[in-house]
Formats: sequence, C-alpha cells, structure tokens
Amino acid sequence: MIRMFHVHKNYPNKIQALRDINIHIKKGEFVFLIGPTGAGKSTFLKLVYRGIVPTKGQVIVDGINIARLKPGYIPYLRRNIGIVFQDFKLLYDRTVYENISFGLKAIGATNFEIRQQVKKVLNLVGLEHKKKTKPHLLSGGEQQKLCIARAIANEPLILLTDEPTGNLDPSTSWEIMKLLFHINIRGTTIIMASHDKLMIDKAKKRVVRLERGRIIEDTQRGIY
Amino acid sequence: MIFENMGFYFREALLSFRRSALMSMATILSITTILIIVGVFLLISINSSLFLKNLESQLEIVIYLEDNISKAELNNLKDNITSIGGIKEVKFVSKEEAYQRLLKNLGEQKDILSAIEVNPLPASFEIQVKDPKLIEQIANQIAEFKKVEEVEYGQEIAEKLLNFTYIFRRAGMLVLALLVFASILIISNIIKITVYARRNEIEIMSLAGATSWFIKWPFIIEGFLQGFISAILSIIILYNLYFFATNKVHQVIPFLPLVVDNMDLLPIGIAIVLLGSFVGILGSMFSVGKYLDV
Repeated sequence: MIRMFHVHKNYPNKIQALRDINIHIKKGEFVFLIGPTGAGKSTFLKLVYRGIVPTKGQVIVDGINIARLKPGYIPYLRRNIGIVFQDFKLLYDRTVYENISFGLKAIGATNFEIRQQVKKVLNLVGLEHKKKTKPHLLSGGEQQKLCIARAIANEPLILLTDEPTGNLDPSTSWEIMKLLFHINIRGTTIIMASHDKLMIDKAKKRVVRLERGRIIEDTQRGIY
Repeated sequence: MIFENMGFYFREALLSFRRSALMSMATILSITTILIIVGVFLLISINSSLFLKNLESQLEIVIYLEDNISKAELNNLKDNITSIGGIKEVKFVSKEEAYQRLLKNLGEQKDILSAIEVNPLPASFEIQVKDPKLIEQIANQIAEFKKVEEVEYGQEIAEKLLNFTYIFRRAGMLVLALLVFASILIISNIIKITVYARRNEIEIMSLAGATSWFIKWPFIIEGFLQGFISAILSIIILYNLYFFATNKVHQVIPFLPLVVDNMDLLPIGIAIVLLGSFVGILGSMFSVGKYLDV
C-alpha cells in the first residue's frame, strides 16, 4: 500500500527531516510511528498524503508515485486517505453532522450518499445522538471521535493519525484505540504517529521508530 | 460539475455571509468607503473636464475685415473660411452690429461715441473651432486670405489655457490611476482577511480531497457579492450626495456647467460596479490560492 525508497526530506532551513527511509507498509497493516519530537513523524505522514514531496527518493502510495503526481490529481489521491490530527481541525461553527457532510460534499458525494455515510460513521464512533451538537460542546474524546468519523466517512484505504490520543486521558485513549482497531479490522491501513507508551505496549502492533530522521527500529508486535 | 454544484457554492457563500455577519458587514463597509472615494474623484474629474471643455470652447478667432470689402468678396471669404477643416461655426458681425454692441457695452457712458461722426469699427467674422488645439494653425491660414485686415485669437491666453488644461487632465489621469491601484490593493487585502478567517475550512477541504475549484467557488461568489453589494451601496450614497451638492452649487453659482444628466453619470456607476465586483472576485481567488497549498 505504501512504499518508500531511499527517501530524504530537507526543509528550506537545512533541517534534514528524513534520511534514507526505506519502508513497505502492506494493505491492512496497523503501524505505530514513534520517536521523540522532531524525529520526522509528521514529515513521514505529510509525504503519504502529499502535503510535501520528497527531496530525494520515491514514495509510492497505492501504486502512485506522489512526486510525479500533477497538482490537479492530488485531490484524487487524498480521497483514498483519511487524516486525523492531534488538534482536531474541526469547523466549530458547524454541527457534528455538518463537519462530516462537509468533507463528503467536497468530494462530490450525492445528498443520499452523504446521509447514509454520515449516519453509518456516527453510529460507528457512537456520536449518533450528538449529530446536531456543535463541536465545542463535545468532550476531547468525542471531538477526536468526530475527527475519526470524518476521516473514514468516504471509506479511505489509508488512515493517517497524528497523535490522536495525545490530549486524552488513558481510558478515553483506549476507547479511541479500540475504535481504530475496529476500523483496521475492516481493511483500512492505519499509520499512527504516537508518544503514547501505554497504548503502544498494549496494542502489540508493528512499531517503526524514527530518530533524527532515520528508521532505527522496525518490529512486528513491538513496544515503545 | 461546476453547474451541478452551483447551488452548493451559492449556499456556502451565503451561509458564510450569515455566519460571519459582523465580518461581512465590516468588509462591505470598508469596500463601500473606498469605492465612494473613487466615485467622488470620478465625479470631480468629469465635472472639471466639462468645465475645461466649456472654457476651451470659448476660445474664438476674430477676423477684422478691410472697410472696402465688396459683397462678393465677403461671400467668397466666408466660403474660403468654411472650407478650412475643423471650423465649427462662422458668424458675421457687420459694422453696424459692432457699433450696437459697443453702445450696449458702454452703457451709461455711451455719450462719448457722439463725438465720433463715422462708425470706426470694422466688420468681422467670429469663428469657433472644433478643436482648440488647432486654433493657431487655423488663424494663420486665415491671415493669408485677401481683405483680412487683422486676425486675433488671444494667442497668449489660448496657449496658457491649453497648457493648463493639458497638465490638469494628465495629472487627473495619474491621480485616478493611483487611486484605482490603491483601491484594488486595499479591497483585495480586506477580502484576504475574510479568507484568512476561514483558512481552516480551506485546509480541511483540501485534505479531504476537494479539487481547488470546488474550494474556490464559494469564496469567489462571496467576494463577488461583497464587491457588488458595496458598489451598489456606494452608488446609492454617491448619487444622493452628488445631487445634494450640485443643487447647492447651482444655488450659489447658477451658470456653472455641471454634469447632471443620468446618462452622463452612468459610466461612473458602471466603473464602480466593475471595480467592486472584479476586485472582489480576483481578490478572493488569489487569497484562497494562498491557503490551498497544504
């Protein structure tokens, strides 16, 4: 699903965010991306959704070489990728329902499809009863669930999550993790950048450890 | 795709208008203010242009004729003058008419003429030209004709006036260009702020896989509406202010030429609407483009 060959990423301020990254993430895998702040986790995720292009090397996502992707085609790549941010990036002047329907409308779904999908994902994350609520009235965990619901509403092949449990208490974090496992079991490839030792040790999934832009460890059923 | 979604784009644009009502109002008021300033300048410039035109049209050539001119020679001369290109009007003033004019001008003091037994004034042609810039050339041409004693056209005044109107018009154009340029910058910056306030939405849509045009359309429509509404508002305000002002001026200086015909004012209205709407559209297009690159 995702392959990187000798990927380097340098930022204009000469910071080498990633150095010689080689990795293969298969369809349906669940991968933790760990490492200290500044290790290159966010850069890794940005490469996958083509927020940036590599300075050197190849990034292949679902068979597409993202560096050669023309700007006009980026939206179509992104329709296969759901993204969950640590800071949620919700629209606070819209309801829970509208936050999800907004993204679906953006990719050309019909009103019927939108109603069906929003209902389905709200059920999945357990927010059906709050669909008319504005996000600022939701708890942190609920807001994160809304983000996940929005990210999976168009049934993407890949789900990228950047520290989704970063601001949550352990029990809420585990709830979010269970939700992500559930989505993973249904076939979605998930990459989760995280610091959350407790969750990672408990999850027993593949762990990729980055340090100063390099992969220094890649273990199946790893721990933090 | 575009037309299929037009309904959605319009709803989104109107929704954003309603959601950020205060912001939208502030935007519209700011753009209205700028457009009023541009409009005031345009009104001043069409009126000064009318005034200058009037002034220039008062420039005329006077040809004094020799006393011994015969009727045939007179007709011949008149034909020769009218055949010169660029003549607007030729008016003959006989010796007798000239005398009567003088009497009228002298008023109370007309008695001094009684000392003179014969009419000393020559007959003349008063000639108005189409283009004041040609006045010197035409005057020189006429001076060559037979039976012309003297040609007068207020050479110095004409030159000074023409110089003045030339500079005045050029300066006006320069100021207008600067003003339009400044208004474009200011309006597009105001629009930029409204787009900035919604950069989150742009980013979310872009990451969800919306095409850039899908994201741009609601903003373009909103920018257009803001520009257009501001233009209409400023036209309403300008129109009322202008007629109030022209009435006041006419009370003080009744004969001052002012543009009051609605058809003559129409181009200014159109210019304001175009300026408002186009800058609204372009401003939002470019600003959204800036936040699209995520």
